Amino acid sequence: MRHDFLDRYSRLSSPIHRLPAGVKLGTALGLVLTIVMIPPGALWVFSLPAVVLLATAAISRIPLAFLVRRILFFEPLVLGIAALNLLRPGGGRIFLAVLIKSTLSLFTMILLANTTPFHALLRVFRSAGVPPLFITVLALMYRYLFVLVDEAERMTRARSSRTFDRNGARLWRSTASVIVQLFLRSSERAERIFAAMTARGWK
Amino acid sequence: MFRPGNTRNPPATLAVIPFFLYDESRLNSSFPVPVHIPDGFLDTKTVVATGILSAVALSGALRQAQRSFPAKKVPLMGLTAAFVFAAQMFNFPVLAGTSGHLMGAVLAAVLLGPAGGVLVMTSVLVVQALLFADGGLLALGANILNMAVAGPLGGYAIFAAVRRLFPGQRGTVIAVAFAAWCSTVLASVLCAGELAWSGTVPWSAAFPAMANVHMLIGLGEGVITAMVVAGLARVRPEFLGNGQPDPGRWTHVLYALTLILAFGVFVSPFASPWPDGLERVASTLGFDQRALVSSAPLADYQVPGVGSAAAATAIAAALGGIIVFLLSFLLARLLVPGPSRRS
Amino acid sequence: MKALAIRHLSYRYPDGTAALDDVSLSVEENECIGLIGPNGSGKSTLLLHVNGILPERTQGESGVSVFGMAVCPETLPAIRRTVGLLFQDPDDQLFCPTVYEDVAFGPQQFGESGDAVRSAVMEALERTGLKGFGARSPHHLSGGEKQRVCLAGILACRPRMLVLDEPTSDLDPRGKRELAALLQRLTATKIIATHDLELVVKLCSRAVVMDGGRIVADGPTVELLSNEELMVKHGLEKPHILQHSHPHTNYPLSPDHG
Repeated sequence: MRHDFLDRYSRLSSPIHRLPAGVKLGTALGLVLTIVMIPPGALWVFSLPAVVLLATAAISRIPLAFLVRRILFFEPLVLGIAALNLLRPGGGRIFLAVLIKSTLSLFTMILLANTTPFHALLRVFRSAGVPPLFITVLALMYRYLFVLVDEAERMTRARSSRTFDRNGARLWRSTASVIVQLFLRSSERAERIFAAMTARGWK
Repeated sequence: MFRPGNTRNPPATLAVIPFFLYDESRLNSSFPVPVHIPDGFLDTKTVVATGILSAVALSGALRQAQRSFPAKKVPLMGLTAAFVFAAQMFNFPVLAGTSGHLMGAVLAAVLLGPAGGVLVMTSVLVVQALLFADGGLLALGANILNMAVAGPLGGYAIFAAVRRLFPGQRGTVIAVAFAAWCSTVLASVLCAGELAWSGTVPWSAAFPAMANVHMLIGLGEGVITAMVVAGLARVRPEFLGNGQPDPGRWTHVLYALTLILAFGVFVSPFASPWPDGLERVASTLGFDQRALVSSAPLADYQVPGVGSAAAATAIAAALGGIIVFLLSFLLARLLVPGPSRRS
Repeated sequence: MKALAIRHLSYRYPDGTAALDDVSLSVEENECIGLIGPNGSGKSTLLLHVNGILPERTQGESGVSVFGMAVCPETLPAIRRTVGLLFQDPDDQLFCPTVYEDVAFGPQQFGESGDAVRSAVMEALERTGLKGFGARSPHHLSGGEKQRVCLAGILACRPRMLVLDEPTSDLDPRGKRELAALLQRLTATKIIATHDLELVVKLCSRAVVMDGGRIVADGPTVELLSNEELMVKHGLEKPHILQHSHPHTNYPLSPDHG
C-alpha cells in the first residue's frame, strides 16, 4: 500500500537527512517566519529563501519531480484564495506576494516532512516539554493512520466492486457506510490496543 | 508551540477557479484534499493572536485531560485522530464540481468529551501540517483555533444544549447533526475573519464565500457524524457515555472566554452594523467600498432588498440554521428506529 | 508451585453472554500446552484472565494464580512482568513508531534503567532474529516480521510464562515454520491457543480442548489429537501429521519440550 504517501523520502540518506530533527524543525520555522514577514513591496527579497530551499532540496537528494508535484498539489487552493484579491484594484501585488509566500512556505514544509522521520520529531517534542499524553496521542495516531487508510481502501474497493452506479446518492451512501464501518473497527481496535498496552505494564 | 494552522478553504476558490481543477476524480482520491490555511495568508498580528488563543485553550484542555481522562480512553483518542485523518480523505460531492469532507470536530468531542475533542483535532492538524504540508506552520495557530478549538468546543456546547432539550437516542442524533453543521460553519466564519483581519481577502468576499460553501459542506458533516453516532449507539453504546467528571467551572470559563475572544476579535468587527462595518474595513484596508460589494462572488445568494453579500450571507446562515435544525429531526427518525421497535 | 493454577473460573461478558463456565486448569513450570477448540469456545477469554486483563473490574481474587501469586489488583504489575501475552493481531500490539521503541516499551514501563532497557532490547531482537531492525517502522514490516517484533517486545521483559493467542494465524508457511522453531528454542512455560493443530503436535506435550466455555478434554497431545471422534465432536479435525503413523519411523515426531 502507499503507506509511505506521507513521508516517502524521509528515510533517505543525505547530509540533510542526517541533521538532527530539532535543527531541521527550528530552521523550517525560521525560514517560514522570514518568508511571511517579507513585505509585499520588495518581491526580489524572496529569492534569498528560495535559493536556500533549492540548495537544500538538491543536497537532500529527494527527486525534484516529487517535490514539484507535491507543491503543485496545493496550488489550486493557493491560487484560489489569493486570486480573490484580483477582484479589487491594486490587488495584483498582494496576489503575487501571497502566491510566492505560500509556495515557498509549502516548499519548506514539504522538505521538512521528507527529510525527517516522524518519530524523530516526536522525540524533539518530548524533550521540548510537550506533555506525554499529547505525545502518546500523536504517536498512536501516526502509527495507526496507515492501518486505517489501508482498511478504508480495502472497504472502498470492496464496495465499488459491488456498485455499478455512478449515481451521486448511492456513492454518497456507500461512502458514508464505509466511514461508519471504519470508525467501528477503529474503536474496537483501540480497545485491543489498550489491552496490549496494559499487558506490558502501561498505566 | 503552535504554528499557524490551516483553515478550511475549499470551494471559496470555486468562484475563481475553473471547475476542471476540482473534477470528479478527486472523489475518493488517495490524497487528502488540502483545506487548511497555508502559510503566507495570515499576517503577523493574526498569527500571534490566533497562536495565543489556541495555546490557552489547548493548555486548558491538556490539563483537564491529564487530570481526569481515563487511561482506557487514550488509545481511543489516538485512533479517533487517525480516523479523522483517514476520513478527511473521503470527499463527498456538494455542488457540481465542489466537494467537501468531514472535519470531525463534533464527532471527536462527543466521543471523548470537549477536552478530548480539542486534543484529537489538534493532533490531526499537527500531523497534517508537519507531515503533509497541509496547512502552514505559522498558520497552525489559526487552524487549531478554527478546527480544534471553535469546532469541538462550540460544537459540543451546542450539542449539550440541544440534547438537554431532547433527551433520548433520537435527541442525541438531532443534537449531533445540528452541532456538527454548526461547527463547520463556525470554523469557516472564523477563518474568513482571520483572512480579513490579515488583509489577505476582504471580509465581504471571504465571509460569503466561506460561509455559503460551508453551509453546504456542513450538511455532509452533520449527516456523517450522525450516522457514526447512531451506528455506535446501536452496536457499542458504551463508547458514547464519555463518563468523565465535570471539568469544573474554571475550565468552562476558560473555554467560553477563548471562544468569545476569538469571535469577538476576528468576526465582530466585520459583522457589526453592516454598512458601518464594511466602511471601516474598507478605509482600513484602503480600497473602495463599492468595489468590495460588487465584486463579492456568489452574488446569486443575495436576498432581494438587502444590499451586501455579507448581510445576505448572514441571513442565509440564520435561515439555514433553522432549516438544518429541522432536518436533523428527519435524520434522527431515519437513523434511530421508533420506540415501539426498540427492544 | 504450579506455574498456573485456575480454579472454577466463570466469566460473563458485560452484555450477559456466558464465556467461561467453571474452568479449572493447572500448568507446571516449563510445560507447553496447546489450547484448542472451535471459534467462540472461550480460549481467548481464558487467556485474558491469566494476566488480569479480564475481568475488567477485579474485586479481590479471580480464582487464577500465577507462580503462586493470586491475580488481584495489587499483584497485577508483578504478574504482567512474569506473563508475556502475545495477541492475535500484531498490529494491535505494535503501537510504537519504531521497532526499538516498541520492544523497549515493556522494560521502560517496568521501570528499568536506560542501559538495562537497551541491553534487554538488543538481546530480545537478537533472539528473534531481528538484529538491525531497531529503526524500522512497524507498518513497513511483513506479517511474520511484525509477529517476531511482538515476541521480542515480550521477551525483553524476561517473562517466565508465554501466553500466545493464535500466533500463526496471519503467517505464511515459512513464517509459521520460523515461529515454531523460535518458540521451540525458548525456555519458559508456554500456553498456546491456536487452530494450527500441526503446531500443537510439534511443540506441545499436552493439549487442552475447550468448547462452549468449558474444558472438555485434557491430556497428552498425540493421544487427544489422534482421537478423531473427539476432534470432530468439538469442531476440530485430526491433523494431517497424525493421519499416518509408520511403526518403523519416528513419525509422528514426538513433540519436544521447550
